[in-house]
Amino acid sequence: MARKSWLGKLAEQKTLLLMSVPFVLWLLVFRYIPVWGWSIAFQQFRPGTSPFDQEWVGFRNFKFLFQDENFYQVMRNTLAMSLINLVLGFVTAIVLAILLNELRSVVFKRTVQTISYLPHFISWVVASSIIVTALSTESSGIVNLVLMKLGIIQEPILWLAEGKYFWGILGISEVWKNLGWNTIIYLTAITTIDPAQYEAAEIDGANRLQRILYVTLPGLKSVIVILLILNLGNILESGFEPQYLLGNGLTAEYSDNLDLFVLKYGIAMGNFSLATAAGVFKTVISIILLFGANHIAKRLGQPRLF
Amino acid sequence: MKISQLSYVLLSVSLVLLLAGCSGANSGGKSSAPSASADPAAGEKKTPVTFTYFNAAVAGKDANTNETVLGKLLEDQTGVNFKMEYLVGDLNTKLGVMIAGGDLPDVVVPDSGIDKMLDAKAFIPLNDLLDQYAPNLKKLYGPYWDQMASEDGNIYVIPFAASNGFVPDMYQPGAFYIQQGVLKEFGYPKIQTLDEYFDLIKKYKEKYPQIDGGDTIGFETLTDDWRFFTLTNPAPNLNGLPNEGEVFVDMETKKAAVTGDKDFMKRWLQKLNEANSEGLLDKESLVAKYDQYIAKLSSGRVLGFFDYGWQIVPAVQNLVQAGNDDRNFIGFPLVFEKGTKDQYLDPPTFVTNRGIGITTRAKDPARIIQYFDNMVKEENQKLLFWGEQGKTYEVDDKGRFYRTEEQIAQIQNPEFQQSYGFSYFSYYWPMGAGLFEDGNAYFPDRQPEVVEKSYTEGDKRILEAYGLKVFTDVYSPPDERKWYPVWSANKQQGSKEQLFEQKKMDLQRKWFPKLILAAPDKFDAMWGDYVADFNKLDVKAYEDWANSVVQDRLAGKKR
Repeated sequence: MARKSWLGKLAEQKTLLLMSVPFVLWLLVFRYIPVWGWSIAFQQFRPGTSPFDQEWVGFRNFKFLFQDENFYQVMRNTLAMSLINLVLGFVTAIVLAILLNELRSVVFKRTVQTISYLPHFISWVVASSIIVTALSTESSGIVNLVLMKLGIIQEPILWLAEGKYFWGILGISEVWKNLGWNTIIYLTAITTIDPAQYEAAEIDGANRLQRILYVTLPGLKSVIVILLILNLGNILESGFEPQYLLGNGLTAEYSDNLDLFVLKYGIAMGNFSLATAAGVFKTVISIILLFGANHIAKRLGQPRLF
Repeated sequence: MKISQLSYVLLSVSLVLLLAGCSGANSGGKSSAPSASADPAAGEKKTPVTFTYFNAAVAGKDANTNETVLGKLLEDQTGVNFKMEYLVGDLNTKLGVMIAGGDLPDVVVPDSGIDKMLDAKAFIPLNDLLDQYAPNLKKLYGPYWDQMASEDGNIYVIPFAASNGFVPDMYQPGAFYIQQGVLKEFGYPKIQTLDEYFDLIKKYKEKYPQIDGGDTIGFETLTDDWRFFTLTNPAPNLNGLPNEGEVFVDMETKKAAVTGDKDFMKRWLQKLNEANSEGLLDKESLVAKYDQYIAKLSSGRVLGFFDYGWQIVPAVQNLVQAGNDDRNFIGFPLVFEKGTKDQYLDPPTFVTNRGIGITTRAKDPARIIQYFDNMVKEENQKLLFWGEQGKTYEVDDKGRFYRTEEQIAQIQNPEFQQSYGFSYFSYYWPMGAGLFEDGNAYFPDRQPEVVEKSYTEGDKRILEAYGLKVFTDVYSPPDERKWYPVWSANKQQGSKEQLFEQKKMDLQRKWFPKLILAAPDKFDAMWGDYVADFNKLDVKAYEDWANSVVQDRLAGKKR
């Protein structure tokens, strides 16, 4: 019985099925067939040689990756910068979205939104130049200038030469660059909250803060959880350009992440096998985290991805 | 929340992710058009034919040689046209795709991808063709002929620039640069040692703490990314050694040793540390990017720095445009101790592991070799480098070639270089270098008559003050080093020597700025820590590799 109804359903939805075919094909061709390339991770890959003539080396590339003394430092940096970006990104975006939502003047709201989006469209190459100039010890360095005028520091500080400042500088830069962009999704989610709930809260005598706490935030909860699950899957993607562009030898202990490690020891040295091994490693961790977070969300009775 | 609304939100998220995922892909592997090969009938040498040429060494504008003035003249002589394609993107990827797809052009300049081409047996041996069709090539490359063959005795590539006579470059190679204003202030003193150099900078900075409203910068370093060698290369130079990369080679024993932990490296860093404690060094330059470095040099506030002529071209252009000659620079080959002979200039070498080869896909290799042979005839070499007499150069009554100021200005225009063909034929074809039989230089920018005309008034003044004809006269002539330079030898992918270089750079990028910024009394202890870290690297494997390169090259083998 069940089988028949399933087939019946198929026949019923054949238009929808047909429409989905190109996308399923796309997924197969561009997202699943390339997974064949993972075999490179288990070879000493030489371009231009047929797959049958490659030298198979088992887990040697993974061993090299995990046994390198820099690997743990690199992993620590990757996770730390990722978490900083995740937490800062979430908190600031949600706060700004709620604040914007509470604004009554549409003109002011739109202006703030536009201004806060703008940095998102600046490429990191340009943005890093702006950041470096702002942190400079020369007269153009506004950060040192302000701090000195306020009497907080006596001597200009060479911000980019101290490893311990790097994560902070990166976190603030990311917030500056992506804050406006990140609010879009929360603003959209807020508009889907039923206005009747606000009206009811108002009649019950809730003030503004209470309305935010008991109506807006619970309304956003499902979006926040879903985004959190998605972002946890990307935790090993701590970014590449800002670290590459803002980092230097003095901050390398804090700024080198997995992507930079792969660039230096994999791609730049023509060692595509190592680069692929790192990619495989990243994907496996991502899948574990994604499923883990999804499972926890399910256990806690929260909305979830699948 | 209604589920449909949530799904809109999700849809927008997934769209963003999807777009982000897509942006990584790019369209590589553009197939080159097959050559329109003509009937290879034996007698008919001039039937028009088009071959394909791929250059992996530089980026450039794709073109047909016969669209340029020079290429057209060569086509009139031979009937051959080349459709030239230049590298876009990553060399290894592009060559890998070409080889894997069997989609090879007729002629390839593989640059550092040469091993890949040879591994894949993509080049044909040229020995018989050269014997049969190439008397001029044999004459030009005669002195180097024995070095051109691979280990199996076959010649697969024709290297570039078979040099005949030594002609120094117009741009200075490595040098300690100093502002001309500083020298003028103190009556153009002769500076030979690093101590004299820093003393002069110190005196000037004390006298003029500000230049154009900004703080005077005593000494600037360049440490950005791969340009980091600009900080480490001066150390062996100061000790009277040439730049061979990570090693130096003893002239007597011919033994190679790494430079990273040697006393001259320590002495150089200690001098920078001292300069920093005296406030002469720009601390920020240790974390700055290349464009900031150029901006600072262009500001006219920097008194001194070590660099190579080719790396500071934009800054020098800015300074020339600003028109204040006192703010422009002149470089000196400094040493630690008076009396040490400087070896900043590269010894003349013949690089055999770069060149141009004919692939197995070429339909008519004989025509290609004949074309190469024709282009290295002396009159054609003059044509390719100097152009046409009366149009792009003149000859005086002594037979010396020169260019008028209008001709120099015209040739400096990149568009003209392209349409005329200079930019396509200036390198990456079989060619000579040095001096023609009549004593003129192969390259106009090394002909004194041309170089002198391109100097500014300020340049001429400073040259006169030091009794020089061209800037490169400050250097001592290079000693002969048959193995030079070790850095140009190929390294296997994933080999120990390759790994050493990367690890060593990471280590020095971390330690050297720290050592320079350290309190002077802590320097020695920190240096000890650095050397301990350095010795944890596989130094022995690297030195073994370097020694094998030196020995092989001394024995006339190709590395």
